[in-house]
Amino acid sequence: MDPVERLYLDALMADPAVPAHSLRPQLLAGARARRRPAAPTAAWAEPYAGRVAAMDALLAEAADDDWSRVIVEGWTLQELVAHLAAKDGLLAASVGAPVLGPPIDTTDSLARTRDLQAYERSRSPEQTRRDWRAQADALCRHLADLDPATAATLDGLETGLGDHVLGRSLETWIHTADAARTARVRLPDPIAEHIHPTADLCARLLPWTMLFSGMDGGAGHTLHLTLTGDGGGEWRIPLGAEETTPGTPDVSITADVVAFCFLLGGRGDPAAFPAELGGDLALARDVLTAAPALSGP
Amino acid sequence: MEAPYDDRVLHQRVVGGDESALGEIYDRLSSLIFGLSLRVTRDRVIAEDITQEVFLVFWERPLAYDPERGSLRAWLATIAHRRAVDHVRAEERRRVSALGPRLFEREPARPEDTVLAADEAERVRQAVTSLPGSLREALELAYFGGRTYRQVGEELGMPEGTAKSRIRLALRRLADALAEEEV
Repeated sequence: MDPVERLYLDALMADPAVPAHSLRPQLLAGARARRRPAAPTAAWAEPYAGRVAAMDALLAEAADDDWSRVIVEGWTLQELVAHLAAKDGLLAASVGAPVLGPPIDTTDSLARTRDLQAYERSRSPEQTRRDWRAQADALCRHLADLDPATAATLDGLETGLGDHVLGRSLETWIHTADAARTARVRLPDPIAEHIHPTADLCARLLPWTMLFSGMDGGAGHTLHLTLTGDGGGEWRIPLGAEETTPGTPDVSITADVVAFCFLLGGRGDPAAFPAELGGDLALARDVLTAAPALSGP
Repeated sequence: MEAPYDDRVLHQRVVGGDESALGEIYDRLSSLIFGLSLRVTRDRVIAEDITQEVFLVFWERPLAYDPERGSLRAWLATIAHRRAVDHVRAEERRRVSALGPRLFEREPARPEDTVLAADEAERVRQAVTSLPGSLREALELAYFGGRTYRQVGEELGMPEGTAKSRIRLALRRLADALAEEEV
């Protein structure tokens, strides 16, 4: 910024001018009418509500031809939103929250994705966007009264509802980043308070990504994982899927927290992943190689 | 110039749909935005409308702002300035058309993405030269010389805290000088 402009703004701030009456209440009411805030929900589901609001902010920037542009998996932006709505809908159905679109007749997320994409192709992108958001917000409101430890099933995987919702948060985040890249929009990261539980989920998934990749070298080993940046932290993870208590770490990985979440989400090449490895290096590399194993479309 | 850390976090919160972040940004910057709009339009009601609109537009389209390119304050001030100038120009056009057609219509200047138009920037520079020597010196070192408060203190032979309060006083005087000129 030009120094004269900076000087001018600093001078204006040194001599505050105040409107006759506070415009704040009017502003907040007006804001709500222009763009819906994140849906109110339980604290543990807020990372998801926040990613839904961020995706919606990105969709608000989309012009007509942006909607037919291919983003990822060969899907257009409209089809991508239908995909998010498909998986959100399966989770909504499993906890008794409202589901929009044609009735659900499958538990498979790809089959549901195909059904919903076929349905949405005959509608306008705005309708697709509106229903995706309405269903997600209804899910958030429904989650407000639920215990995150409640068992829930999505795509044949039964685990705590809290982890499923964080999984939805991560997927919504990653697809928003996909769409932002195509639109050449710089997407800010979620706040640290939302990144941290997402990173925690990713850290806890590591024994399962190893198992799923057929790498059985993890049993009996403990990983010391250090994730740097806002929302990061340190974890001790037993790498055998059957083990619940960590031992003394004999392998370590240090990496950027956002890059790590994206690696688990299938974005980034494990072989080229920027990380500092220590201890059993071959095992550390196996952990990274296996990391994207649970990421679907 | 990258935005300060606080700006980034507020922006992250607004993108994530957190309306309390909008309230915080309003509390911090509304008097600046209102003051700036008032200086350009000289109409309190219009300035209030512009202020309201600047914050609403930021809430509605938060991804139009890129913290890599500058502070939130500069971004909102730029929007306010553009809207205020647009308003003044529209008023002028209305007055001109009420007076009847003219042979030579002046080519309207293209609204630029700045906080200050060239003539306004010149007024600010003039106002700086009207300040008492000691205040002017501190201000020029800090803003045009790119010095930190500590460096300003060293060059003027005073503690950092004294340099800081001198610069603050200079800014208030500058605001007064700009205001007087407008009357």
